[in-house]
Amino acid sequence: MSSIDAGASVRPEARNPVPDTPAVDNASSDDPSSKDSASAANPGAAGATGSSVFEVSDVSVYYSDFRAVTNVDLTINDNEITAFIGPSGCGKSTMLRTFNRMNDLIEGARMTGTLEYHGVDLYHEDVDPVAVRRRIGMVFQKPNPFPKSIYDNIAFGPRIAGTNENMDDIVERSLRGAGLWEEVKDRLKTSALGLSGGQQQRLCIARATAVNPDVLLMDEPCSALDPIATGRIEELMLEMKQDYTIVIVTHNMQQAARVSDRTAFFTAELDPNTDQRTGLLVEYDQTTTIFSQPADERTENYITGRFG
Amino acid sequence: MSPELEVELKRSAPAPGAMAIPSLSRRGWNAALEIALYCFITMLVAIVEFYAGGFPGPSNWLIGLVIYALWSLNAFRRSTTPSAAFVQLAVVDESNVAASFGRMVLRTVARGTVLYALPILVFANNQIVWIAMFAAAAASVAFMERGRAPWDLIAGTTMVESYGSEATESTGPLRLSDLRVDGLRQRQNQRAARMLQFAGWGAIIVSLLIVWVVASEAFTFITDDDFSWSLLNVEGDRRGWFPRRNFYDIPTLLVGTLWVTGIAMVIAGPVGLGAAIYLSEYAKPKVRRIVKPVIETLASVPSVVIGMFAIFFISPSVLTLFFDDIGSFSVLAAGIGVGILTIPLVASISEDALRAVPMELRQAAYGLGSRKITVALRVVFPAALSGISAAFIVGISRAIGETMVVAIAAGGSGGTLFELNPTEDGQTITAAMASLGAGTDQVAGSGIAFQSLYFLGAMLFLITLILNVFSDAIVRRFREAY
Amino acid sequence: MVAITTELRDQLRLRRSADTSGQIFRGLLMLALLVAFASLLAMILTALTRSWPILSDRPLDFLFSNTSQNPDEAGVFQGIKGSVMLAAISSLVAFPVGIGGAIYLEEYAGDSRFSRLVQVLVRNLAGVPSIVYGLLGLAIFVQNLGGITGGRSVISGGLTLACLVLPVVIITTQEAIRAVPSELRQAGYGIGATQWEVIRSVVLPSAAPGILTGTVLSVARAVGEAAPILVVGAVSGFFQTGTLSFLEQTQSFFTALPMQIFAFTKQPAQTWGAHAAGASVAILLVVVALNSVAIWMRARLDQKLRK
Repeated sequence: MSSIDAGASVRPEARNPVPDTPAVDNASSDDPSSKDSASAANPGAAGATGSSVFEVSDVSVYYSDFRAVTNVDLTINDNEITAFIGPSGCGKSTMLRTFNRMNDLIEGARMTGTLEYHGVDLYHEDVDPVAVRRRIGMVFQKPNPFPKSIYDNIAFGPRIAGTNENMDDIVERSLRGAGLWEEVKDRLKTSALGLSGGQQQRLCIARATAVNPDVLLMDEPCSALDPIATGRIEELMLEMKQDYTIVIVTHNMQQAARVSDRTAFFTAELDPNTDQRTGLLVEYDQTTTIFSQPADERTENYITGRFG
Repeated sequence: MSPELEVELKRSAPAPGAMAIPSLSRRGWNAALEIALYCFITMLVAIVEFYAGGFPGPSNWLIGLVIYALWSLNAFRRSTTPSAAFVQLAVVDESNVAASFGRMVLRTVARGTVLYALPILVFANNQIVWIAMFAAAAASVAFMERGRAPWDLIAGTTMVESYGSEATESTGPLRLSDLRVDGLRQRQNQRAARMLQFAGWGAIIVSLLIVWVVASEAFTFITDDDFSWSLLNVEGDRRGWFPRRNFYDIPTLLVGTLWVTGIAMVIAGPVGLGAAIYLSEYAKPKVRRIVKPVIETLASVPSVVIGMFAIFFISPSVLTLFFDDIGSFSVLAAGIGVGILTIPLVASISEDALRAVPMELRQAAYGLGSRKITVALRVVFPAALSGISAAFIVGISRAIGETMVVAIAAGGSGGTLFELNPTEDGQTITAAMASLGAGTDQVAGSGIAFQSLYFLGAMLFLITLILNVFSDAIVRRFREAY
Repeated sequence: MVAITTELRDQLRLRRSADTSGQIFRGLLMLALLVAFASLLAMILTALTRSWPILSDRPLDFLFSNTSQNPDEAGVFQGIKGSVMLAAISSLVAFPVGIGGAIYLEEYAGDSRFSRLVQVLVRNLAGVPSIVYGLLGLAIFVQNLGGITGGRSVISGGLTLACLVLPVVIITTQEAIRAVPSELRQAGYGIGATQWEVIRSVVLPSAAPGILTGTVLSVARAVGEAAPILVVGAVSGFFQTGTLSFLEQTQSFFTALPMQIFAFTKQPAQTWGAHAAGASVAILLVVVALNSVAIWMRARLDQKLRK
């Protein structure tokens, strides 16, 4: 623990607690003084308009001895798209996977700090990660449909969780929601592996929404797709914003700028105590602010392409 | 919790109120599990009865039914049966409410009557009738409307995919209890983990039993009153392996084993390695698709068939061309047979090793203007050398352990004299064990001749274990290389 | 310029024609392959020609007659029946335990000391000679548990063969499970499936062809193995059959097809050689059929993965 405290002492901005009221006037980040790195305090306290879904305070994630993410504070708002951007190895995917406890599946992974979902501590010992993942769905980097029919892919989640709705209705609703229904309605019983990459990824989105989740986590959902398929997914995300809270990790800054309401910029820096690179949250704000008037110099360098 | 957080959440909780009719395969699994469970219980009862002096008969099927019913009581409280709970099925009554305890009892009695009791009571011991009744019951489950079986009709129930708490579409603040999985799924998950761990112990138990049995019985052999170490190395002109006369000359068997293994590797080594190099470096994919299955077929030819081949073909048609006075049984013929048996093993492990050599290495060599033979012999072969040596060691271990070819083709079944000439009769460690095992009809007897079987087993076990550990170490090293 | 070009061309041709060592090497390799093929072919031909007196005269009678002292009446039906029962018992025991154990090792055990120990044990068990399993069966199933198994019975033989194929089943199942991409598991967990649901609905269906291939091959092995059941005490001669009930039969003397081949080869070859060869033809047919099924299933698996 001593190394954590010592490591944190060089980044005082990450130690600040979340303010009691997340509603902070956006204009505050226009303050010229916030250009100064040291005063970019409370990066997690970016102005919230809606109600919060996740309250992240002082979260660090470790893989065995390696500290992947250090002291993150942020608030994710309801029915918004939040983008995590940053260079490779900055821990943004790791951070995303803490939201539905996917990191539990990795041996040696553990988390410190608190992560509240609608006010409930997600890492409370009574919380079952399986139940969490049913409410907080996930779409992965590479389209990963099951080697089953399109229908069975969608029906997988509702079947295991149990539902009193007609399965055909669920399948149609989910596929319509993912804009895939018209393309596949005549071949629902054929293998999902016969779809194109973009269609497969939309199928995965439909599969994730079939259990009627509250939040969708997307881990670089377009990185394996061509620009046209990427465009379709981005449109889809903007439509789905009405019903879901979406958190997306992306390498593509234009994508973050196009779709997201809020952007969190992560970076990886050398921890002088352990000589290891660790990820930290630099800045979190309205996307327009991040891309037009970033408060932190590191953010600006990254966005303008001057990043080391 | 701050008031803002009390938002309207999409709280479509797992909704286990679903009453979907289970799929055919789900019901089929349930039925199969039920029968398996029932047979298992009955077997336990049969074992108990056996020790009590009785003989398995219709009565223990009835006792099994009672035990099954007792087992079911716990499941009934959750409107399911032991087997149905495993495939996550539950039973509801006709108004789609979880079936009451009474209905479950009625259903199970009906089921037991239809499935087991009737045919047993009426037709006692006729297996055909059982099979027919099971088939009829299965067919009724498969084809009747809503997947109802006769016992469901009797009890007025139906199998459904899940049941439980009411479906919740309520709104309001999220509670901690909303983030828990329903009990049925959780229990199922835990039960699966426990059962699988139990299976994992199976491998450990078998390993420990082998070591314990072989070691303890071999110890009995060497501590027997009739035993002395000099029996293991009989000097003089009557030197040989004659367990009936208490001559346990180990060198006799070692010579035989060495000959067989040596001859086998002289054949399997070059042939297996050559085939492997051809397959990995020269063969076109089309050729590979044909050749690989043929080699695999050779691998699965039972060793008794090779033994037959050795005495009907190798000895009379091949060896007589080279040796005038060779008999139909000889160590040489056995060695050649074991060699043929070992070819596919050496070939497939060597080929894996050769194919594991990265393509870049080959391309680099070709890029320098090397010929195919240079690439194969100077680049790929050295890179795969450790894997190939592992293949040879595994081949040797297999050849040492091979029994039936030698037992059939090497002759000397009753015992054999010390003999250095491979064109004569001989025995290996394994063949000596086979003839002891086959010839000693009073196996349960505690004669020292019989115990020598375990002594040989312990020797064999140690030799092959050392070879296997050795080859494993080599393979691990070669895996780390890439 | 012209001179240089021809010289270059000659050099290129020279390289091509001078590769005699390469040709010889290639020829040697093909010879190796040919030896393997020829021995298989010779084996099949030997079995067919030696058994021709029986195959041409009374093929069905041979398959469906019981053992007899009269060579003209003797058949292998009891052996076939014994082999089927052995295969059934060993599959019933080894498949659930083996597949379950493999799932546990791959999905639950992680990299614990326990799993590493089991891993090492399984690897070494797979290399233990089959006759040593016979000793295990003899000591445990015949002698210690003789009261239950009936001593030298088909149950003892089947359980012994189950121990024999157990490591093979575990290793092939583990390989099949390892080949399932981890993305599929993640997809399952991401939807909110429990570990068992992911295994049952995602991992096992994807690994099924590989697992089936392994199990089919292990059945082929169990059918062909003679050494362990020889030690456990398969009867090579003649025994009573007929009026016993099924349960009683499982506890009584038994024989098996490979055991009968062994017994036939120990008789004078003039009169019984054809029986040995005929039984070999029968067992080869079974084993080749099982093998073909396994190869076909693997081909289907490859196709599926490529798609």
